[in-house]
This record gives sequence, structure tokens and C-alpha cells, in this order.
Amino acid sequence: MWELLARSLEASTIFLFAALGELISQRAGVLNVGLEGLMLFGGTAAFITAQTTSSYPLGLLAGLAIGGFLGLAHGFFCITLRGDQVVSGMGLWILSFGLTTYLGNPYTGPLGLERVPRFFGLSPFYPLGVMLVATAWFLLFRTSHGLAIRSVGENPGAAEASGIPVAVIRYLCVTSGGILAGLSGATYTLSYNPVWNYNFLMGWGFVSLALVFFSMWNPWILLAGASLFGIMWQLSLSPELVLPGVLSRYVWRTVPFAITIPILCVISTPWFRTRWGLAKPEALGRPYAKE
Amino acid sequence: MKLGRYELTLEPRPALPPFHAVLTAVVAILLALAFSSVLFLSAETNIFTAYRAVFSYAFFNSHGLLATVHRSIFLLFCTYAFLVPLRAGLWNIGLPGQVYAGGLAGFAVPFVLGAPQVRALPPDLLIVLMMVAAATAGAAVGGFAGVLRARFQVNEILVTMMLNSIIFWLVAYMIKEGGPFMSATGEGESFGLPVPLHAPLLLGVPFTALLALGAAVLLDPLFAKTALGYRIRAFGESPAAARYGGIIPMALSLVVFLLGGAFAGLAGYHYFAAVPGVYKIPGNYGYYGDLGFYGIICALIARGSSLGAVPIVVLFAGLSLGARFAQGELRLPFGVDYALLGLLMITFVASHVLYRFRFAWRRIPPEALPHVSAELPQE
Amino acid sequence: MKRGSAAAPEPILAARGITKRFPGVLALDDVDLDVYPGEIHAVLGQNGAGKTTLMNILFGLVQPDEGTLEVFGRRVRFRSPHDALTHGIGMVHQTRRLVSAHTVLENIVLGHPRVRGVLNLRAARTEVETLGNRYGFTVDLGARVWQLSEGERQWVEILKALYRGARILILDEPTSALTPPEVKILLAGLQGLVRGQGITVILVTHKLPIVMSASHRVTVLRSGKVVVRLKTAEATEEILVHHMVGRDVAFRSTDRALPRGRPLLEAEQLAAFNDKGLLALRGVSFSLREGEVLGVAGVTGNGQEELAQVLAGLRPAASGSVRFDGQDITRLSPLQRWQRGIGYVPAERSEVASIAAFSLVENITLNYHFDPAFTRRGVLDDAGLERLTQRILSAYNVKAPHQHTRAQHLSGGNLQKLILGRVLSRRPRFLIAHLPTHGLDVEATAFVRASLLDARAAGAAVLLVSEDLDEILSLSDWVAPIYEGRFGAVLSREEADAETVGAMMAGSLLKGARGQ
Repeated sequence: MWELLARSLEASTIFLFAALGELISQRAGVLNVGLEGLMLFGGTAAFITAQTTSSYPLGLLAGLAIGGFLGLAHGFFCITLRGDQVVSGMGLWILSFGLTTYLGNPYTGPLGLERVPRFFGLSPFYPLGVMLVATAWFLLFRTSHGLAIRSVGENPGAAEASGIPVAVIRYLCVTSGGILAGLSGATYTLSYNPVWNYNFLMGWGFVSLALVFFSMWNPWILLAGASLFGIMWQLSLSPELVLPGVLSRYVWRTVPFAITIPILCVISTPWFRTRWGLAKPEALGRPYAKE
Repeated sequence: MKLGRYELTLEPRPALPPFHAVLTAVVAILLALAFSSVLFLSAETNIFTAYRAVFSYAFFNSHGLLATVHRSIFLLFCTYAFLVPLRAGLWNIGLPGQVYAGGLAGFAVPFVLGAPQVRALPPDLLIVLMMVAAATAGAAVGGFAGVLRARFQVNEILVTMMLNSIIFWLVAYMIKEGGPFMSATGEGESFGLPVPLHAPLLLGVPFTALLALGAAVLLDPLFAKTALGYRIRAFGESPAAARYGGIIPMALSLVVFLLGGAFAGLAGYHYFAAVPGVYKIPGNYGYYGDLGFYGIICALIARGSSLGAVPIVVLFAGLSLGARFAQGELRLPFGVDYALLGLLMITFVASHVLYRFRFAWRRIPPEALPHVSAELPQE
Repeated sequence: MKRGSAAAPEPILAARGITKRFPGVLALDDVDLDVYPGEIHAVLGQNGAGKTTLMNILFGLVQPDEGTLEVFGRRVRFRSPHDALTHGIGMVHQTRRLVSAHTVLENIVLGHPRVRGVLNLRAARTEVETLGNRYGFTVDLGARVWQLSEGERQWVEILKALYRGARILILDEPTSALTPPEVKILLAGLQGLVRGQGITVILVTHKLPIVMSASHRVTVLRSGKVVVRLKTAEATEEILVHHMVGRDVAFRSTDRALPRGRPLLEAEQLAAFNDKGLLALRGVSFSLREGEVLGVAGVTGNGQEELAQVLAGLRPAASGSVRFDGQDITRLSPLQRWQRGIGYVPAERSEVASIAAFSLVENITLNYHFDPAFTRRGVLDDAGLERLTQRILSAYNVKAPHQHTRAQHLSGGNLQKLILGRVLSRRPRFLIAHLPTHGLDVEATAFVRASLLDARAAGAAVLLVSEDLDEILSLSDWVAPIYEGRFGAVLSREEADAETVGAMMAGSLLKGARGQ
């Protein structure tokens, strides 16, 4: 039982890192729907680097670097060029999907390194995730920088008029989001399931995106949601632990995705919508142009 | 970027003449070809040999040409599946799921009817039934996302991606490990279609080609000339203004997703049930769904024009097929066509940028040149 | 204004030769501005004269193409509002620059150089409260900005600028969204700041009464150039109008002697929620005959937008009913209402009433795509629509290169004329006009008002929603001031005078006269 829980929490870190990064980016008003792409590329880069250098730290670094670079590119398109954030996100996703399939193919298969050490069965990434959540919460709600970030996401015009460099803040947030997405992908390929296969994420990135919406942009709720999803996902992989013999395991795999849909609908009901609507960064998704 | 007295800036283009749209599409395609040559270079192959192999297989080899045609039909349906909602400003990323749903529904027809009935009924009727079932299933899946979007304003990207994953696993269930559609040999693939149910061929090409070409010719006038097309375009430009004009968002979202989904369903029918030599859902069917993403790129590069999409689709179909062939011949790594997919997306985005911006040299005002320190006034 | 003993006092802010070009237009042409310490300096001009661009340059939001700026005697160049704030210049914009979801205190300390790192809001709160008391400021620092009235929000912005150390305050059209009593409070407060605390104020406006009553000196801008600089004591309204417009403008007076028709529209206790889920319209009733104009006077945000949308069918009524020509239309869709002869000119010209990327013909189609006269079995009658567009363009004097120009290339006035022409060409029997002259120049405004009166003469019932009291008083047969979602009263034109209506718009006299 404990193993199942530990594994669930490890799965949840994948969702958590990516969603936390996206939360920060969205708090500043930049939407990245191509989150899955950054995760794929980060994970692939990490895997290839670790495989060729036999070094986990280098692999991790590669994943972070690629994620940050792609985040920066997204930022350039959305902030400086004021392009459509959805187009850019989709572009990054398809780009990553295509390129990682090609680049990672020679490395298909297991990583071949000693597994990342676990402490009492729990992977070290989970406590890291909790720390990151606490840091993010503190940054956003207890510092002047966080106030600036949130203001940029609500009303960039107001922030600009208060002397805040809107573009700089947005770049920092979207790049941080990219780095965290890279971390998420690297965690997957280096620790959670160190076997490379094309499109190894199978839609997790979009679930992470949904998680950001569910969490009402609050890091603690996000942690709870990610943990829940991690448990659900692990259960769907081994349903015989809960309901032996019922339905093929393939049908169980659909459960995490299927659950997301009604939750998305519930969020849109009027009762929820007012509270959610007030929590949503008002300028999310809208390019900002100085007068 | 400053250079002495002048600086290079990126400024928005004031107007967007239609000529530019064609120009940027052409630029996108040329960039695509340039990028694919990078791929070949990386494999230490002579570019000309590589390109010759690619194009001669795709367009001048009898097998290759036929394969290109089949893939073009598939991609054309996928393109229209994305294009129709795109004109309404909606993203139908769920087209792979709708493709699988269409394939499943098409196969469900003979499965449900049972072998005796299949032998008894006229094959043409059955084929039409299969097609209709496929289109309906795709439309249903698409329509579900459309309703959710209109009624609950749920982000359609999220819903359709969830549906993709759900349907992907459902198909796996159907064809693997004892699922209903599994073939007798139990190899994790579906049963094959009996010969009478193979799609009839015209000039060696499945009749679905007619449907695809028909759509190519009819969709553009639909958007330009009909009231429905006007409403879709208005909604795509400005949902608020469309609402003011009397257009009902729910109805419109539903219509475009139904239509888009139907096209995707037809793509599924075509690929699994109409391409000679296939006629079954194979164990590694994931590949075909992913190929559907080419449809997204073609629709975007064609800027929503159904007729304009045809040459782009044919080019990409041939390029990806030829690249796959060359991959084997020239010993390139797996996934060249995927890499191409990714690179093409950059070219599209780049062309999108060029479409909206231009580089300009500006003379820096003299006052800006000398550095002025911003000292605080003495208190 | 105090006179220096020996030499003339130095200007606290001096701009010379400011020039700014935007693609296709010369916004400012060699503009000079001198502002002296301790004065209220008015910058007067019509919409499009360049006032806001000039202020944006003074505040560092925009960089001039040519020209210099001296503040407190030093040459400066502002690369961003941060620089301007460091130099003691604060700006309160025409549209609110506040984060509505955050508290007043959070908004005031946003970006402040002293409030850095870990947020210590308690210390900041004490400082801000002291400052507020000094200036006579009484808004709850813990309130969320979306809960405040327009006037209160303005004071938050002023206090914010003062907390940043501003000695020069730029106010861009500060009275446009205020009720008359709030305007009085604002002007009195500014006088207090100037006399008591030595703050200098630059007041940007197009309203003559404000200039005459509150300023010491005035600079008039027209089409990007400075046309005259005067001491207010030496100016009159006529002189200022003459410089602002470039010639004398006569307003048409309206005649009242028109026969009344039969009752056409009856609204009974209409209520509706706004987008945030709050009850914005709280029970409005009125009845309108053919050929009558009901002017709904109120400051934006008091429910008139929701009223217009409910009547147009674009927003569901939470309760209440609407009857048109004897039939209950409360549940009808917008399309059904257009087909029955209701027309709507929304306030958002380019976001709702038109589609920027569409051609003029396609924009006309927005009200015609469902009309059987222009569609044949689902296909649009392009030729017929083009003929219609041509007729509208000439009848409404819309200046455009040709029919297939995109709507985004039209100026505000021409776009509004196009929209009005489109709606009126359907000969609606009930017309809803929401802020129809907002942001338009004098000529376009006069044209739009004349068109509304023509519609009235043709027998249409008109609901006019406007913030401009003069407009309401000159066009309406009935006047209904709206405040917090209710009509203060429905007054006939004879009974309605500016004071009463203004007071009701601000919420007083609400318990008095009610209903029709």
C-alpha cells in the first residue's frame, strides 16, 4: 500500500512541476497551451544527456535548460511580437512532438543507469515539489515581487503605470514556467519511468494545464490536485488493487482523463464561476501593448 | 538593434494585402523544404540524392505515387476536420480521437450486423453504412466538445485532448487482449474486412478521393458565399459581434465541430477501411492519429482555404512518405516525417510573424542619443 | 497665481518642441507647454487633439520623436513611467489603472521603491493612512477596488501618486465618469492640494465648465498644435470654443411639437445580473410610445449597460418582463427581436457593433444575413448587399475609399455613422442607442443626434442611454436618471433640469419621486 502511495506521489510530481510553472506564467498573464511540448523536450534532452554522459545532474541540467529556452521562445513570440498565445503554444507542442520523436528514437529503451535513490520508497522529487510550492506561494503572496507579478496578470496597464516593467516580469515568469516544465519532463524520464518511448507523456501535459485551472491559481490547491491526480493515475495503472477483474486495464487508463472533463464543467457553473472568475488573472491570454 | 544613427525595429504591418498571404504560404513551404534538407545533412547524405529519392518515390514511382494519393486523401480530410472549426476561431485538436472514433464506428457496422447479414446485404449499401457511421461517430465526438465549449465555455483544447486520450485507450481495449474487435490471430489488431467490403476503386484510387476533392471545391464557396459560412467567419473574427448579429454561439460551435468531426471520422474510415492493403486497425495505430497533426499545419498554412490546402497537403503527403522511404534507403533514423512535422510548425509560426510584422530601419531622434542621467531633484 | 518679486517665476515643467508621429498620423506638432508651480493648469482640446498623447509623453509611457523636457529646472528624458515617478510626476489616467481584484492598499504600494522584498503591509498601511489624513482621504484601505465607486477609485489613484512623492499631478479627463456631486468634491479637493500642500496640477479635459471654474491658466490644443495660451481669468467660454474647434459652432435646437403615437414598449420590473454575478439592474419599469425618446442618464456602471442588453436580448432578464407591441418578448433571442423591428446600437463600436477585419459590406451583412430579402436558399445576395451598402454610405456620409475597405480603417465617427445607418436602414420601431456619440468629434456627434431625431420623427420609440447630460436634455421627451440599477424617477422634459437629474444620478432624492 505504501508503495502505491509513494509511486502515486512520484507521479504527482510530474503534474506538479509543470503545473506550478504554468501557474506562475499564468499569474503574469501568459498562457502556454504547449506545456506538453516543453515537458517532452525537457524529458528527451535529459534522457539523452544522462544516457550519453552517464550523469544524472547533467541530464537534469539539460532538461531545465531546454525547458527554459523554449519558455523564452514562447515569451518572445507572445510578449515582444504580441502574437497569439494559443498559436505559439500549439506550435511549440507540435514542434516538440515532432522533433523529440526523431531525436529520441535512437535512444529508445531503458536508461541503463542506477535508479535514482529513494528514501523510504519516496522519490526525492516529491519533497522538492512541496518546497517549490511553498516558495511559489511565498513569492506570490508575501513579497512585493509577487504583488507585481499578480498585478501584471490582472491589469498590465496598471502595473506599467506604477513603474513596473511588464515585459521583464512576463519574460521571467514564462521562462521560469519553461524551466519547471523541463524539470517535470526530466523527472519523468530520469526517475519516474526511465524508459524512453516516443510521445511518452501521452497527454499528461494537458492534464497539468487543466490542473492549473482547477487550482484557481493557488499553489496549495495545486499541490492537493496534483497529488490526487497522481493517485488516480497510479490506480488506473494497477486497478486490480482496488477493483480486481473489473474492466480491461485499457479502460482504466482512460479514467484520469475522463474525470477531468466533468470537473472542467463544474468549474463553469455559475456558482463556481464567480469565485473562479474572480481568481482568474484578468489579463490572461491577452497580449499587452504599451499605449 | 542599433547601428550608429539607425535602429532596426519590428513594427506591425498596417494592412494585410491578400497577395501577402499567398507569398507567406510559399515562403513557409520553401522554408519547410530547406529544413528537411537540414535533416538529410545531419545524416551525412548528399542533399540532391536524398531529395531525388524522396520526390521520385513520392511522385514518380507507381507504388509511391499511389501511397501519396492515399495519404493525401487522409490528410485532406484531417485538414478539413481542423479547418472548419478554425474558421470559427475554435481549435479542434481532438481530430486524432475523432479519426479513431470514425475507424471504430466503421468497423462496428459489420461487427454488429454479423457475418451472415454481411453476406446477405448488398456490399455497396454496407459500405455507405460504414461511411455514414464513421462520419457520425466523428461528428458525435467533435460535437461533444463543441457543446461543452458553447454551454460551459470549457476550453476546447483541454476537452479535445482528454477525449483523444480516452478514445485512444478505448481503441486499444477494442483490439487488444480479447477485446471485441480483436482478430482471430490475436495479434493485438482488429479483424480484417471481408473482401466485398473493400472500398470500390476508381482508376485504382478509393472513391473517398471524390469526397475529399468535392469538399476541397465546395468548402471555399461555402464560407465566402453562404449565410452559414458568413456566420462562421463572423463568429471566428468576433464572437461578441456575432452574438450581436443574432448568431447563437451554442448552435454555431456545435455545427462547426459536428462538421469537423465528420470529416475526421471520414479520415478514419478512409485509412482503416478504404486504403488497399490495410482494411484493418493495426496494433500500432497510434501512428496514423499522430499523422493527423499534419492536417493542423496544412490548415494553418492554407489560412483556412480549402482549395489552397490541396497542393499543400499533396506536397506534405509526398514529402513525408518519400522521407520515410528515403529513411529506409538512406538509413536515416526513424521519425524523419515526425521531425519534419515539427519543423514545419516553426515555418508556419515564422510565416505568421512575417505576415503581421516587418523589419524597418528608423532614424533615432537626436535627443535619444546622448545619455542623460536621471538625477533626483535636490530635496 | 503668485508673481515673483524681481523676475518671472520659473516653470516647474517646461516642454519644448514636442513632436510625435504614429503610423499615418501626426499626433503632436511642435508643442510647447509651460506649467508654473502651485497652479492648476488646464490643457483643453477636443477628442483627437493630442492631449492624451502629450500627457503620456510627460509621464514616460510614450517617447517623443522630437522635443525636450525640463522638470524642476533639469533636462530629462523619461524612458518609462518609473523615470517620471522618480522625478515627482504622477498621472491619473482617463481609464482606471487599478487592479480591481486587489485591495486599495495593495494598489497604492504597487511598484513603490520603498516597499520591496518581503511585503510588510502593516508599516505601509500606517504611512498611507497618515498621508491620507493629511489630504483628507477617507476610503477603507482594505476594501477591494471593484467594490468602490468611480469617484473613490479616482481618489485612490490620486493618493497613490502622492504616496509615490508626486509634486506634479497630471489628471487626464478626471470628470468624465463622475456624477456632478463627485465632480464638485474632486475640484474642491484639487484646490485644497494646490493651496494647502503646494502640489501642481495639470488638468486635461474637453469640458469648458471645468476649465472655467477650476483652472488658473489654460493651453488649448487643436489637431496636435498649440493654438493659444491664456490665463483663465482673461478667457470666456466663447473664446475657448472658438480656439478649440477653429470656428463657431451652432447647435440645432429641437422642436417638440410632434404627435404622440400609441404605446409600443412596456418594461416591468426588469432585473439582471452583470458579468461578475452581481445584481446590476434592480427593477426598472417604464413605458414608451411611438415617437418618444426616453433618455436614461447615468454614469457608467449603474446598470444601464445591462438594461440595454436585456432589452436587446443579449442578456437574460433575471426577473421582470418586456412587452413590445402588446407581445411578451422577454424570452426572445436577439435575432427574433431584430426580425420584429427592434434595433440596437451598442456602446462598443469596434468590439460588438462591428467586425474590424471585415469589409464594410460584410459589416452591413451583420444585420442582414438572416433577411430573406438578401438570401436565396442559404446563399447571400452579394449584389443586393453591395447596393444596400452603397446607399448607406452616401445617405450617412461615411467617408471610406470603397465598400470593400476593412472597418478597422474607418475613423470612429465614420464607423459610428455606418453602424447607425445599418441599424436605421431596417427601419426599427424601437431603437436602443447606447452611448451613441461617445468619443466622436463635433460634426459626427451632430450627425448622430440628428439621425436619432429623424428616427423619432418617423415614429420610432427610442431609448437613449448616455452620460452626457446636455445630450439627454436636448434629445429626450422623458428623462430617467439611473443609479445603482434603479430609476430615480421618470421625469418629463419640462420637469427635468440639470440639478435634479444630476443629483439623482448620484443617488440622492432616490426616496422621493419614483416611477411614472
